[in-house]
This record gives sequence, structure tokens and C-alpha cells, in this order.
Amino acid sequence: MKQYVLRRLALAVPTLFLVSVIVFALMRLMPGDVATRMVEGHGYARTLDALRHDLGLDRPVHVQYVEWIGNIVLHGDFGRSYWTRQPILEEFVRRFPVTLELALLTILVSVVIGVIVGVLSAVRQDSVSDYVGRVLAILALSIPYFGLAVVVVVVPSIYFKWTPVWTYAAFTVDPLQNLKIMLIPALVFGVTRAGPIMRIMRSALLDVLRQEYIRTAWSKGLSERTIILRHALKNALIPVISLVGLQMPLYIGGSVIIESIFRLPGVGLFFFEALGKLDYPVVQSVNLIIAAMVVGLNLAIDLSYAFLDPRIRYR
Amino acid sequence: MSIATPPIDAALPARVAPPRSRPWYLDVWIQMVRRKPLGTVGAVIVVVMLAAAVFADQISPYGFAETSLRERFIAVNGAHWLGTDQLGRDLLTRLIHGARVSLYVGFGAVGLGSVLASAIGILSAYFGGRVDMLVQRGVDAWMAFPPLLLLMSIMSLVGPSAFNITIVLGAAFGIQNSRVVRGVALGIKEHTYIESARAMGSGHLAIATRHILPNTLPTIIVVATTGLSTVILTEASLSFLGLGVPPPFPTWGGMLSLAGLDHMYTAPGLAVWPAVALSLAVFGFNMLGDALRDLLDPRLKGG
Repeated sequence: MKQYVLRRLALAVPTLFLVSVIVFALMRLMPGDVATRMVEGHGYARTLDALRHDLGLDRPVHVQYVEWIGNIVLHGDFGRSYWTRQPILEEFVRRFPVTLELALLTILVSVVIGVIVGVLSAVRQDSVSDYVGRVLAILALSIPYFGLAVVVVVVPSIYFKWTPVWTYAAFTVDPLQNLKIMLIPALVFGVTRAGPIMRIMRSALLDVLRQEYIRTAWSKGLSERTIILRHALKNALIPVISLVGLQMPLYIGGSVIIESIFRLPGVGLFFFEALGKLDYPVVQSVNLIIAAMVVGLNLAIDLSYAFLDPRIRYR
Repeated sequence: MSIATPPIDAALPARVAPPRSRPWYLDVWIQMVRRKPLGTVGAVIVVVMLAAAVFADQISPYGFAETSLRERFIAVNGAHWLGTDQLGRDLLTRLIHGARVSLYVGFGAVGLGSVLASAIGILSAYFGGRVDMLVQRGVDAWMAFPPLLLLMSIMSLVGPSAFNITIVLGAAFGIQNSRVVRGVALGIKEHTYIESARAMGSGHLAIATRHILPNTLPTIIVVATTGLSTVILTEASLSFLGLGVPPPFPTWGGMLSLAGLDHMYTAPGLAVWPAVALSLAVFGFNMLGDALRDLLDPRLKGG
């Protein structure tokens, strides 16, 4: 087990190295010049060359890359924003709780809906409720979450004269106000992500219910409730967990849009604003941090299988 | 009440092959209408959308960029069936032309992506060893990014345009799905007929294109049809953020944010209709893709 963890960690290093190369190369090789915009639009320096020199953009690309990655690896320094000169990591850490809370609530909503509908659908296979559940799952999958978000904001305000609260409050400051604000975005986003979870829950449970040990459980005379909840569900949840893990990038990517619609001061909004200003260091570092999180999360999920399914052994 | 536990040899519906008098591509559609009602609904939606895209100029009542400042925010009336937007442009016209943009980007990106996915996947599987190792680590790294963040980064650098977004989405689609193609190609590579082709003196290129590629085609078709809805949705997300197809071209995602979000209290229809159109399109492609997958490649059957 320990060896397996170490080997997986060692394999993550080259992946993260490639990730950093990809994101850096994209930022520098693509057209789009931050210096021109900073000088012409905002007068950050007297001349273009002076600004490029200040930002270190006049040096060869590989030198810039080594400096960027070197500071991260050696000092944990993710650089500063070109525009505000604020340290990126500080801003990221300050905003991350908002995004994390949104992601967790979204996952909670989608897993609760997906698992309940999926179990009902599998247990009553080919019944009316099965078909209704499956069609609902596909419908939910088809509705773009940003479309649903806009509609959810529009409809109540027109017909019920009720507008959602927009002023954000941190959970630690005002938990109730915070939940009030987070609930609608999480519901909107969660509902549209419940479809795949429901589908995989249904097929995994159907699969498990056909296995021998479930037949044994039936013949022992256990109740349906016990068999499904205590015997079948635990094994059927494994694919659900790996799906949630695989979809983590989608949750994070979607949070950018959700945060910009609902004006939540999270990492997504930070990233989106940096993009608009071509703030390379921010875009680069945020991409890298999030990719590193995804890699770490995938590892954690692989390891969690060992606890859920004792048959899986790592060597 | 007990759940139905099927017998051990759960009787699968016998897949009796119909007499092969008609070609397979016709047969697929006939099977679909008979056995897949939802897939048929999806196909109808897709056909309507295709027709709207192709004949947009003929069927839409106005020009898509035809503004009329005197007629801003008109509610539904006889001249404007779905009303007008903040610049007095006819909403129905823009929805119809939006189908054209969606499909242009969708088919373009998926077509490009499928070629790329086959090339990368087959190359990686065929040569194996060090090449495979290198290519797969690259794909790993690419897949570590949340797709939307990476696509947003690239689009903000290259600048929004229909051409750019098609290329970028196509590249992303290709890299991601090369995994699937590689998996299938790895299996095909082990067959003896590949070995005999090599023994008869076929070169690498000939084996890859004449023997491996045709056998991966069903998988590629399935990947492409199921991928269309995702690509259309991604294009809409990017256009929603202002990083996709720029104005004045009407895109459903762009209409949602530019007309919809900014004026949602004065004219809710501007937000609701593009959302409905987009949902319908994605639903149609999803259903069609699912049905085609079941009919073409039963191994990939999902829940």
C-alpha cells in the first residue's frame, strides 16, 4: 500500500511538469500582448520597452519559465499579478473557500438527487418510475447550467417580485446569509450535474443486484431494505465516486460561470477577471494550482477504493 | 414487494440480424424508429435544427443583424413572433441563425477532432513503447486541466472568432478522445491479420490506414455523435462568457448573456428562448447519440 502511494506520487511529478510546460507555452506563444494593453489603455509605464523590462518580459522565454517554476518549487511563490502587484497565492487562498463551498454543495446536491433517483430506478427496473427517472436524467443533462441559472434568476423576480440576495457574506461571518446565497447556485449547478450520476448509479446497482452474494442474501430471508442499503449500495457506489472524481474538473470549470452569474467572489471570478486583462501570471498559476489539485484528488479517489472494496489490493 | 431478480442467464433480447437486403446505414435508421423512440425524437430535433441552419436566410423573417432602434424590447406580436432584443433585432431570426453558428462550430470541431483523435490514438497504439509512453503522458497532462479553464485561457489569447473556436474545440476534442481510439486500436493491433499484413510486406502507414483505421471507425463514429452535444454546449458556454463567437453573429450562448442577462428584468424572453433552443439541441444530439451508440456498438452501452 505504502509503495503504491509512493509510486503514484512519483508518477504525478512528470504529469505536473508537463502541465506547467503546457500552460506556460500557451500563455507565451499565443498572440495577445499584455504590455500593449497596460501601456496604451492604462499608462502603466512610459514606453512599452520600459514596461516589458519591469515585468521581465524582455528576457528569453525559457529563462522566464525557469524563474516561474523555480520560485514555485523552491519558495512556494506563485508570482504576482501584473496589474495589482498582489501575490497570487494569497488571493487564491483568500478566495478558495468560496469555490470549495460551492463545489461541495453542488456535489452534495447532485449526488443526493442522482443516488436517490438512480436507486429507485434500478430497484423498480422497467417500471414507470424507472422511465420517468431516466428521461428526467437526460433532460437535466441537456439543460445548460448557465441557461438554468439565468432563468432561475429571472422568473421569480418577474412573477413573485422576489430577487435573490447578491451581497456575499463569508460562512464564518454570517452562516445563514452565506447559505442563502450559496443555495441557489448550488441547486442550479447540482441539478444539471445529477444526470450522469443517476445513470451510473442505476447501471452499477443493476449490476450488483445480479451477483451471487445478493442472491445469497435473498435466500437468507433478509429484507429488501437491508439487502439494498447494507449489501448492494456500498459496492455500487464505487463507480459513482470515481465519476464524481473524474468530473471534478467540470465542477471547477463550471464554477467560473456560476460565480460570474451570481457574483460570488471565488477563484473562478478571480480567474475570469485575470483572463480579461491578460494577466499571465495569474492565469498560469491558477491553472497550475487547480491542475495539481485534480491530480491529487484522482490519487485520493484511487486510494479510497481500498476502503470501499476490500477485494481491491494495491501492490 | 420484492425486486425482480433475473435468472442467471438473463435472457437478452435475441439480436436477430435482419436479412441484409438493405445497406447497413439505412438499416440503422429503420432499427432506430422501431426500437428507440427517444432516439427518433432526437433525430427529428436534429433534422429540424439542420434545416433551420441550412435555410436560415430563406425562413427567417428579418436579417440577423437588422437593428431597428424604434422597435426595441417589443413583446410578442404578429410581426415579431418572439419579440425583439435591446437593439430591436428580431429574436426568432436570431434563434434560427444561432442554429447555424452552433452547427457550424459543432460539426467543424467534431470533424477536425475525430481526425486528430484517430491520428493520435492509432499512432500511439501502433508504435507502442516509448512513443506511446510519451504521447500518453502528454494526454494525461492535458486531461489534468479543467477543460473549460484551459479553453477559456486559449480563447482569450487567440481572440474570439468562429474559426478560432472551431479549431480550439476540435483540438481539445481530439486530444481527449484519442484515449478511446487508442484503447480500441491496441486490441486490433494484436489480431493475426495485422501480423500477416506485416509479413506480406505492408508498411507502417498502410497497416495503420488500411487495416487498423477501418476497424476503429465504428468507435470513432460513436465518439463523434455523442461528443457533438458536449461541443455545442461548450461553444455556448464560451460564447456566454464572451470568448466564443463574437457579435454581431447570433449564438445562443452569447444571446443568453448579452441580451438575456443584462436585460432579464425588462425582457425575460431574451434569456428564456435561447436557453430553450440550446437545451433542445443538446437533448436532441444526446438522444440521437445514445441510440446510435446502442445500435452501432452494443459494447459501449450505458445505463
